[in-house]
Amino acid sequence: MDLYIPVVVLGVLAFGFAAFSVVMGSLTGPKRWNRAKLDAYECGIEPTPQPVGGGRFPVKYYLTAMLFIVFDIEIIFLYPWAVAFDQFRGLFGLIEMALFIVTVLVAYAYVWRRGGLEWD
Amino acid sequence: MNSVSVLAAPEIHAPPVEFSQLAPMLIVFGAAIVGVLAEAFVARPARYAVQFPLALVGLAAAFCWTLWLGFSEKPQHAAADGAVAVDGPTLFIQGTILVLAMLSLLLIAERAQDAFTAQAAALPGSEAEQESMADGGIQTEIFPLTLFAVGGMMLFPAANDLLTMFVGLEVMSLPLYLLCGLARRRRLLSQEAAVKYFLLGAFSSAFFLYGTALLYGYAGSVRLSAISAALSRSGGSETLLLAGVALLSVGLLFKIGAVPFHPWKPDVYQGAPTPITALMASCTVVAAVGAALRVFYVAFETLRWDWRPMMWGVAILTMMVGAIVAITQTDIKRMLAYSSIAHGGFLLTGIVATSESGLSATLFYLAAYGFTTVGAFAIVTMVRDTTGEAGHLGRWAGLGRRSPVIAGIFAFFLLAFAGIPLTSGFTGKFAVFQAAADGGAVPLVIVGVLSSAIAAFFYVRVIVVMFFSEPEPDAPSVVTTATTATAVALGLTATVVLGVLPQPMLDLAGQAATQLFVR
Amino acid sequence: MTPCTGKEGLAFFGCDPWWLILGKGVVIFAFLLLSVLMCVWAERRVIGRMQLRPGPNRAGPFGLLQPLADGIKGALKEDIVPRKVDKFIFFLAPVLAATPALISFAIIPLGPVVSIAGHKTPLQLTDLPVAVLLVLAMSSVGVYGVVLAGWASRSPYALLGGLRSSAQVISYEIAMGLSFVAVFLYAGSLSTSQIVSAQAGGGTASFFGLFTFDTPSWNAIVLFPSFVIYVFTMMGESNRIPFDLPEGEGELVAGYHTEYSSLKFLMFYLAEYINMVTLSALATTLFLGGWRAPAPISTVWPGANSGWWPLLWFLGKLVLFIFFFIWLRGSLPRVRYDQLMKLGWKVLMPVSLGWILLVATLRALRNNGADTSAYLVVAGAVVLALLAGSFVWDAIKGPPPSAADEPEPERPAEPEPAGAFPVPPLDAPHYHGSHHGKEVPSGLH
Repeated sequence: MDLYIPVVVLGVLAFGFAAFSVVMGSLTGPKRWNRAKLDAYECGIEPTPQPVGGGRFPVKYYLTAMLFIVFDIEIIFLYPWAVAFDQFRGLFGLIEMALFIVTVLVAYAYVWRRGGLEWD
Repeated sequence: MNSVSVLAAPEIHAPPVEFSQLAPMLIVFGAAIVGVLAEAFVARPARYAVQFPLALVGLAAAFCWTLWLGFSEKPQHAAADGAVAVDGPTLFIQGTILVLAMLSLLLIAERAQDAFTAQAAALPGSEAEQESMADGGIQTEIFPLTLFAVGGMMLFPAANDLLTMFVGLEVMSLPLYLLCGLARRRRLLSQEAAVKYFLLGAFSSAFFLYGTALLYGYAGSVRLSAISAALSRSGGSETLLLAGVALLSVGLLFKIGAVPFHPWKPDVYQGAPTPITALMASCTVVAAVGAALRVFYVAFETLRWDWRPMMWGVAILTMMVGAIVAITQTDIKRMLAYSSIAHGGFLLTGIVATSESGLSATLFYLAAYGFTTVGAFAIVTMVRDTTGEAGHLGRWAGLGRRSPVIAGIFAFFLLAFAGIPLTSGFTGKFAVFQAAADGGAVPLVIVGVLSSAIAAFFYVRVIVVMFFSEPEPDAPSVVTTATTATAVALGLTATVVLGVLPQPMLDLAGQAATQLFVR
Repeated sequence: MTPCTGKEGLAFFGCDPWWLILGKGVVIFAFLLLSVLMCVWAERRVIGRMQLRPGPNRAGPFGLLQPLADGIKGALKEDIVPRKVDKFIFFLAPVLAATPALISFAIIPLGPVVSIAGHKTPLQLTDLPVAVLLVLAMSSVGVYGVVLAGWASRSPYALLGGLRSSAQVISYEIAMGLSFVAVFLYAGSLSTSQIVSAQAGGGTASFFGLFTFDTPSWNAIVLFPSFVIYVFTMMGESNRIPFDLPEGEGELVAGYHTEYSSLKFLMFYLAEYINMVTLSALATTLFLGGWRAPAPISTVWPGANSGWWPLLWFLGKLVLFIFFFIWLRGSLPRVRYDQLMKLGWKVLMPVSLGWILLVATLRALRNNGADTSAYLVVAGAVVLALLAGSFVWDAIKGPPPSAADEPEPERPAEPEPAGAFPVPPLDAPHYHGSHHGKEVPSGLH
């Protein structure tokens, strides 16, 4: 666990700095009240009313997030495999991973062909 | 760990993988993957013509291989480094699942009366939905999804450690959640069913995982045989063990649909497209009971004096609640769902027996019940009016006068559910109750017989409605098509044969059970 | 802390005394803040030069104090918190963006083992068995800052900017993660110090047994495709030109930090530049041999890789990368969002996966005693043959029809549909002041 202590130290330092800055920012600056300033900035036009709770946003982003999870998990499988690669005897490690990658690529081909990767 | 120690690190050798024993599952999964590729690269109009034969051939090939495995007298042991146990009960259950899945597939592939939405992504009631309907397309992803679900169902009862079992559980469940939401009519109800099933299913999966974690804490392994060995050593923390068993049981009983983990069942069975309901009512139940059998027979056998009282309670509750609440149902699918819950209770009595005869009786019961329930749901898809399937029981009034054959077959299925002699239901119940009585669970048997009597009441009520009341002027008509009719005919044949000549199948189940579970 | 004697490898990192850990942490922290100031200054100066203007040159020598002055000015500005924002998350987001950016640098090796006040210690805050995963994890946490900033602002620009940014970063994170795999395959470890030492010396290869030669040791050369993919994803991850869509000012004002001002805005700014520095440092470590001296120097001067000198090589490579970032910003236009996602998902990812399989195959063959150089020659020949084939194919097919050859599409006579908002014709001459008749052709002013 000793290895991780420095990460925590730097993290505390960084968090302290960031939190301090954010709090300081609201204390140091001047305060000049103006109603328009407290509205959302939309280049001077009346702000678009925002639905309570943020409303809905395009389903494309959900799709991207889900694809990200699929491939991120693929990466998580690839890392230990890559690290241990030289310990595999024979072609077993290679073939297994090739099978796995091909299986994921089948899903990838499906998503691609069905327009899951298109943005307009 | 420096570079020197990396070089000295142990070599990793290929684990033994008995591909021939895993082949049925691999064939099903392979067909599913080919199906996904077909979805990607085959033109939309041609997809159905590719997917349906592909799925059917995949299932049939897997079934043939299972038969070959079952009848070749090879010494069977846990395959794939002990992760999957291919033994007698596994092969019996996998074969049953494959046959039932083929029957369900016939219903799923029905094109004359589509049960599935043309475009799942279109909002219900939107213009996009109208367009997709007019287009005449079909969401052909249902075929690969079904195959994935069936593959998971085959792995679930075969898994020899809890993690593989969990993987099987998820592979089985996730496609089913999706399939539930794809009904063509009453789509909001269908989507609601899918969300309910997904949320509750995810919840029960979490229970299963917690149970696995606690048992790992107790035994230091997730392998079923290792847990059993740790039990006989009887060291370790009793609390971890009992909590683990309880949580694991919740996960398994949820999939069986045992009371008090049953409330999803009526809603999901009603909302899902009827072919999918047939798949869930037959194959999922078989898979879930198979997995429960393995867990309780292999891992917790020495602990049976601890879990038996709990199982007694659950079985009694399940049988009684299923039978009593079914009486009040007015929707045919909901009624069949409650009947399925009650049957889950009968199956649990077979698990409680924890004996070889209990095992073989449960296996037989699963096969018999599966055929009957697929046939019953097939008939539900056939009785239609202008709004689709005529779900309300009142709409079935007088069906026996308008279509005596179909009504007669349905009545026969209902009698099989009730357990009337000369149907498969009677043989199954008799076998299970006998095994339970031999195992000392006489009160359980009495409750079972009582609840069968209650259940018979509402089955007979449906028959009365069908045959002894006047049809409404706009009563639903019966639409007969080749695929559905085949499914009904096969279901009927199995129900009759297993009722009149049950011995070959009983022998088969008994033979599968004598091998017991490998460890 | 445990004594360090007799420990080597990763275990060596866990045995610094507490004051050394704290000291190193503070130094790295200060180094990062300083590097941000320097980056901002360098960026403005370099881009100024590229655009034929001097850039900031008033505050301090060569305008060196300009970023500091900007920072102080930023801190003294009014801190506007719009009325509708989700206050807690609005305050949390800049912290969440800045903190992980700073943490990532903990595992970057700056040099070999040196002696500080009598303690032998590596010039690296710490190293983990999963060091590179820490960087990936921190960049993922940083996305929370961005997306929460957009979410909490309750403004359409901010929300869209946050969504776009997070979608972009996670898309490129996949390609980035895949580009690392080949490096891990070669190093057999995820720890940065071991990846650096794995690049210490190349092996030898023989050409069909005719003659042998030394293979280069830097991953940037050995695993060139991985390096190229990493450089692409580096641009995407850092949200900078040509991939700075989230803050495309033409469409989204400032993207997710539209509603932020004062020090809160500076936190996002800081995070962006620290990410740039960290990504450059990671590129140096994984692909350019880390703190090791470049090839000719280490051959002629054996002491180049010991003591404090490596810090120089490391900083040199780091500055090179940062200059590359700035150079790109000075020369490239912004891509469209669909092009950006297309590059990430349809090009970088399949290419990475194919490359990983290729590398793994060669490595597996070599591990099993096959002579891979022969395969390499064959593969090279195949690639050359394919290229030649495509060249011949193009020559036979003739040049593709260029845009100039196509007839100009007929302009519709009625440009605006009935009932639309009236828009002046876009190619109308512009009038200035009251001088009627003085026309300035459109687009020339």
